[in-house]
Amino acid sequence: MSTWIVIVAAGLGSYLFRLSMILLTSRITMPPYLERASGLVAPAAFAALAAAGVAAACSGLGMTGAAAPLAAVAAAVIAVLRTGSPQAAILVGMPALWVATALLSS
Amino acid sequence: MNSLRADRSDIAAGAGAMVPWLAGIVPFGLVIGVSAAQADVPTLAGWLTGPLIYAGSSQLATIGMLDGGAAPVVVVASALIINIRLIFYSATMARYWRGTPRWWRLVAAYLIVDPSVAVGLDGYQRLGRGRGHAHYLGGAVVLWVSWLAAIAAGAMVGASLPAWLHLEFVIPLYLAGQAVAKLAKPAQRRAIVAAATVALLALSAPLQLGTALAIAAGVTAGLTAEVRR
Repeated sequence: MSTWIVIVAAGLGSYLFRLSMILLTSRITMPPYLERASGLVAPAAFAALAAAGVAAACSGLGMTGAAAPLAAVAAAVIAVLRTGSPQAAILVGMPALWVATALLSS
Repeated sequence: MNSLRADRSDIAAGAGAMVPWLAGIVPFGLVIGVSAAQADVPTLAGWLTGPLIYAGSSQLATIGMLDGGAAPVVVVASALIINIRLIFYSATMARYWRGTPRWWRLVAAYLIVDPSVAVGLDGYQRLGRGRGHAHYLGGAVVLWVSWLAAIAAGAMVGASLPAWLHLEFVIPLYLAGQAVAKLAKPAQRRAIVAAATVALLALSAPLQLGTALAIAAGVTAGLTAEVRR
């Protein structure tokens, strides 16, 4: 039940954010530091969720088991740095995960 | 607003201007659909983050934190922190929508998200307010339909694929890719490194507060970098 309430509440809050300045409008100007902070939220959130997600994938696998997801992340990071394309993370990282998992379990 | 008949070509132009954005957005929608199918939340609830929250990174955080068992208030707070940029977009669009009917502002505001604002602003600057409304609407509706369809497709595919594919790992890889691609700018680099470090240190934080703490630490670190410059 709480899952649905959470999603509705997050949706309602997001809609109010979208509507806020349109209804309040005109003379309100945002402080510059808040404007700068908003540009940093997405990269910080991506990094935090990625780190927590990788840690969750590695937890309980032991040193050998964790080597496959860590190798996949390393391959993905190198691919993005070399190509400049964020999509390269999945295109390179997932095959790297499958290959590393197969090698480690054989 | 101008009559809809007169606006048809501007609606089509807005829709066309959104098409290049879809190349990056549709895969993101597929990833969210896959994450909804793989997570320990009802798939319909995961899909509903699309029409209700309608902002990818916030949707992903909501699904991930619900899956991880975070406290409801922490999930909602994190989703809203990530979406705080929508207030700035609202302020940006307000100047173009002043004096329009209330129903238009209610509908147009719902469609505000990064690509629709970018395409919409371009239309307003090139075509002026009257025709700009139609341009905005054309782009925003194409985005909305494509986004929800991509999430639905990801959810259907994600639920039927074999476990050995480890599709749950698509999400951290996607997020890592997005973060690494933003490392070039010093403030963002500092934000990314700080957020990732705090997220790892706070893995065992109660109520899954680690993610919110890490975002706050990252933003603070990034702002510090900007002040020093």
